Amino acid sequence: MTTSPSDLPATDEASVELDAYAAAVADAVGALSWSTNFATVKVGVAPDAWVKSLRTAKTDLGLIFFSFLSAVHWTNKVEVGDPPAETVDERLEVLAAVGDLTEGRLVHFSTDLPIDGAALATLTGVYAGANWHEREAAEMFDIDFVGHPQLEKLYLPSEFEGHPLRKSFPLLSREVKPWPGMVDVEGMPDSAEASEESDGADAETLPSGVSTENPGR
Amino acid sequence: MTLEQDALKHFSEVSVALELQTPDMTLNIGPQHPSTHGVLRIVAQVDGERVTDVKPVIGYMHRGYEKIAEVRTYPQITALVNRIDWVSGFANEIPFMAATEKLMGIEVPERARYIRMILTEMARISSHLMFMASYPLELGATTPLMFALRERERILDLIESVTGGRFHPNFNRIGGVKPNAGAGPSQKKTVQDLPKGFLQATRDAMDELLSTCDQFDELVTGNEIFLARCKGVGIMPAALAADFGVSGPNLRASGVAFDLRTHTDYLPYDQVNFEVVTGTVGDSFDRWQVRLEEIRQAAYIVQQAVDQIPSGPLQAKVPKVIKVPKGEVYVRAENPKGEMGYYIVSEGGQGPYRLKIRSASYSNISVIPQLLEGVLVPDIIAIMGSFDFVLGDVDR
Repeated sequence: MTTSPSDLPATDEASVELDAYAAAVADAVGALSWSTNFATVKVGVAPDAWVKSLRTAKTDLGLIFFSFLSAVHWTNKVEVGDPPAETVDERLEVLAAVGDLTEGRLVHFSTDLPIDGAALATLTGVYAGANWHEREAAEMFDIDFVGHPQLEKLYLPSEFEGHPLRKSFPLLSREVKPWPGMVDVEGMPDSAEASEESDGADAETLPSGVSTENPGR
Repeated sequence: MTLEQDALKHFSEVSVALELQTPDMTLNIGPQHPSTHGVLRIVAQVDGERVTDVKPVIGYMHRGYEKIAEVRTYPQITALVNRIDWVSGFANEIPFMAATEKLMGIEVPERARYIRMILTEMARISSHLMFMASYPLELGATTPLMFALRERERILDLIESVTGGRFHPNFNRIGGVKPNAGAGPSQKKTVQDLPKGFLQATRDAMDELLSTCDQFDELVTGNEIFLARCKGVGIMPAALAADFGVSGPNLRASGVAFDLRTHTDYLPYDQVNFEVVTGTVGDSFDRWQVRLEEIRQAAYIVQQAVDQIPSGPLQAKVPKVIKVPKGEVYVRAENPKGEMGYYIVSEGGQGPYRLKIRSASYSNISVIPQLLEGVLVPDIIAIMGSFDFVLGDVDR
């Protein structure tokens, strides 16, 4: 039983075909949901069925190419950057993109994990290339990939504390120093005069503090 | 009889005792080593000259672009993504622009798409020429470097004449390309297009380039020492490559005719004719040959695009403040190093909620430990070099 949350109705031939493909993939792996918004095929599966679904995708559906694995931290409590427009359940969404090497298909498998004690079975037994991607997701999001052969830090120093891509992780350089783009820079002596001469539309495209008379721009 | 047997026995015992003792030794290559193209560290366990185990250590150049992107606006991120694979900076911008434009529903004018295609193929040529320069150098041949860099300089000059930048053009704008490249305030009213004489200069450069490719065939491809170093070395089966997400010329060298340029419509590749070049066995030599042939194919694409380029606007109508509607999209492109893609999660703001950067070299070198097991120490360089990776593209 699959449902399509696609909010855009399929209009042209290509998107109808893509919808049919996504539905077929979802059926074959026993997915909870699927969508094809912006021609990006996304199939949602349960965490328990994660490895099984991807094994089916590789052996039965010919999706042999392992593109990437990553995660999204969904939360309204965002330390830096903009929070989501609507209220979302706090969770970690793990994404694995696998494709074929004949038709140019790419399917994003997605599963939701709780924020505390996030754990997921490793994909390294299905796609050996998941090794580094899982190590990266583990250090960046604090996800435990159960059964991973060597879940050490990949990019970060081994003594590093925290999980940088979580939305609760502050970007320290911004805490210490305000973003210079936000500061109102005083204009050049000529700028007031110059902006009167120009027709307004062009003046707006200049960064603040840059004189329109300055030929060096 | 017995004396002879005794002597033989004695001799064999002595020779056993004389056999070289080769306990396991750890050989550290990098992080600063000419063959690592940046700061990659390889920790190899060697038994004599045989490699038994290899562990790549990456992250010396991790700049955290995925985190920074969350506090930057879309136009600002263009400048960041230039620096991922700095050997082909222009090509990095394309999938990001295509993804953003897809979310915003913008149709890019045809002329801008052609300019993007010409410059992307030039970025591919300059990236592959860098490989033509560095790979023979790593195997001990210095002359090809001169040929390749001379040709690459010509290409970079052309890119510079259009974009103003050699390495980091930062030339794409959401909805098209920079409309007044190089125009000062006095020229505000004139939209500056491609510089005068660019199309003819490009035609000439491509002709020169194709003859240089033939010189490469004579100078390197048939060279006995070169063949001895890379024929049959580092064979990568296609199934292994797919498992690790190896893409681009490295994948095609293993005999897989998969090229995203023929499957996706991010640039008008359907308007030009070109061949998808493949290798046969997937050894280091195939990876060399595929890249050399891809330079020729890229030159053919540029020649056709320069002849066909339509006139028209360079920019679609876009709002002054770029706000991207809510949605998730993944757009990937065939970059010189392989598949590069951006997964953008937008929540309707001026910057992305999450940006996942899928870079080619990262997956490409993750397969290297599998290929280095059991090879000789000098082959480490011959295999690693043939993968043509850039550490900025690995660490992001």
